[in-house]
Amino acid sequence: MSTASIALVGNPNVGKSVLFHRLTGAYVNVSNYPGTTVEVARAAARFDTGVDLIDTPGVLTLPARSDDERATMHALFDEPLRALVQVGDAKNLRRTLTLTALIAELGVPMVLALNMADEAKARGLEIDSGELAATLACPVAATVATGGEGVTALTRDLTRAQAPHPLLHYDPATEAAIARLAALIDAHAPHPRLAARGLAILFLGEDSVTESWLHAAAGTQADALKTARADARAAGVTPAALAHERGEAASLIAARVTRRRADATPRLAQKVARWVIHPLGAWPILLGVLFAVYEFVGVFGAGTLVGLLEENLFGAYLNPAVTGFVQQHISVVWLADLLVGPYGLWTMGMTYALALILPIVTTFFIAFGMLEDSGYFARLSVLSNRIFKLFGLNGRAVLPMVLGLGCVTMATLTTRILSSPRERLITIFLMALAIPCSAQLGVVLGLLGAISFSATLIWLAAMVAVLILAGWLAAKLIPGRRIPLVTEMPPMRLPLAGNVAKKTVGRLKWYLIEVIPLFLLGAFLMFLLDRAGILPAIIRAGEPLVTGWLGLPKEAAAAFVMGFLRRDFGATGLFALSAELTPIQAVVGMVTITLFVPCIASLMMIIKEQGLKIAAAMLAFIVPFAFLVGGLLNHLLHWVWA
Amino acid sequence: MKPADHHARVPLSVLLPGVHAVVDSIEGGIDPAQQEQLVAYGLAPGRSVRVQQQRPMTIVLIDEVELALETSVARQVWVRKA
Repeated sequence: MSTASIALVGNPNVGKSVLFHRLTGAYVNVSNYPGTTVEVARAAARFDTGVDLIDTPGVLTLPARSDDERATMHALFDEPLRALVQVGDAKNLRRTLTLTALIAELGVPMVLALNMADEAKARGLEIDSGELAATLACPVAATVATGGEGVTALTRDLTRAQAPHPLLHYDPATEAAIARLAALIDAHAPHPRLAARGLAILFLGEDSVTESWLHAAAGTQADALKTARADARAAGVTPAALAHERGEAASLIAARVTRRRADATPRLAQKVARWVIHPLGAWPILLGVLFAVYEFVGVFGAGTLVGLLEENLFGAYLNPAVTGFVQQHISVVWLADLLVGPYGLWTMGMTYALALILPIVTTFFIAFGMLEDSGYFARLSVLSNRIFKLFGLNGRAVLPMVLGLGCVTMATLTTRILSSPRERLITIFLMALAIPCSAQLGVVLGLLGAISFSATLIWLAAMVAVLILAGWLAAKLIPGRRIPLVTEMPPMRLPLAGNVAKKTVGRLKWYLIEVIPLFLLGAFLMFLLDRAGILPAIIRAGEPLVTGWLGLPKEAAAAFVMGFLRRDFGATGLFALSAELTPIQAVVGMVTITLFVPCIASLMMIIKEQGLKIAAAMLAFIVPFAFLVGGLLNHLLHWVWA
Repeated sequence: MKPADHHARVPLSVLLPGVHAVVDSIEGGIDPAQQEQLVAYGLAPGRSVRVQQQRPMTIVLIDEVELALETSVARQVWVRKA
């Protein structure tokens, strides 16, 4: 770890991560601060390898209210900061300066980067950055991160970074409260880098990270701080009032340094943005995007790449070689089995993680990063909001759901972007129940497509019906309020290849560290169950249900247990039987196996994210429910065709 | 009093696309955390907004930022015509 760091701070969608990419070399580490779930990227600066650059999550407001904002506050408190770069949207100076008004009080040397200067210009806005720099008493650089303009100047400005002048004086009652708190903080809980006045303002604004830091640092004096704040509150000093004053000050300064020309020319991106969300035009564009993603991830990633890796590299070369090697050198049978047996750590765990899931998530992360950088996701949330409203969710849930079609395990982790625990629970439940991952989807579509198009349609209709029914029920049964969607729509931009590649690599690294242990643990558990003879017993116990209620051949029972190992294994097990299956049996089998328990890796992830109790409750619902729906469908189809 | 002060107050959700308006108040039907969020986006009393579209959601332009609001939220934002 470096001895000094520089943090990039700013509102969401101001091009912070692109600027980060411009300022750093190739290696990025993505990590979490303790107690937060948000990824924070860190890399050595290109201009000084002794300095770590930190890309903090975008903040809508400080004091922190969301997980993203708390992670940013942690970076400010915990990092050995040499300087801050506030990245702001040049076309929205008021909002940028509202944030500046707060962070300027922290007393950390700072540079203000007014990014997307080109977009501001296209909208006819001219900012006098010289006058702004004079007002703030810190360097101000105009940048276009996507084109790399102004980045050299920004690097140069960093050597002249200065703690800005305060942008405002609050009203007298507030100033008195700030002074009283700042004196207490200076005496009992001084921070090595952050100014007491800034901490006092954050504390008055009820910033939770500041609160817990001060609480720990002040020890026995913590109560004095709380008393001072309660007194201030009684005098009408509220977080909202402070935020309001900062907004007013920002407005005044922004108005003074901004000129508006009349000859603005809308750029192509603005016109595209209009169409992408147009009440009619949006739908063909959405279908086009979905099709492109499907071709890249589903066909190229899950088909071509998985084929090359799983069948050729692992199936034909690596696995026989590893198996041969192990069997030659390890004479203890159970140990050899543990490594390369049917549920071996290598043959099942690593092969699954590296040959099957890795190519799929790699292509998925590339597609995901491109959509993310283009600004399309926010628009997709708006378009899909009405559907998710049925499930007690809002359009933001479209992200994990779409990701679930790639890999449910990964998508379960991504539910962290949702803002409430209730939304996370509903989304994880729906994905575990009714969203097939790409590995399974491939097998299902392959088998049903070979039978008839109507078989595929029946499967699809059953899935959609279950999703809507279960979603509707979950929305009714799980307590809590639905949060309506409010979202900023960032300008549409062309994604940058370098930035997408860097994000993909960072996420893959993180994926390998977080997910591979789960696959290994899963393989190990199955190995134990198999050796203890529990696996065959489960298969035998399930046979009557499978043959009687579902009307499937008894060999299908093994396929269901296999489905728990790997979602596609279960479907593949049925695929192997397909010659003996009637069309009704095929449809019933595929519907049941799609609904049936998620794979063991995603179950582990659910336990990790939601705890053992909730994961067990989900299983207790999903298993009987899958068989119930499968059986009902079996009887319905027989009744219709009888 | 000037005539401008007599403009009717209407919910943001009823304005036609292209109309400019000034935010008058945000009603209490919105969760406090979300209210704070709206203010941070610039949807605060006294600010002027331009309605871009109403379907599938209300989309307004505030200080060059496009903000999409679900109708249930837009109904709680009262505006005067600018």
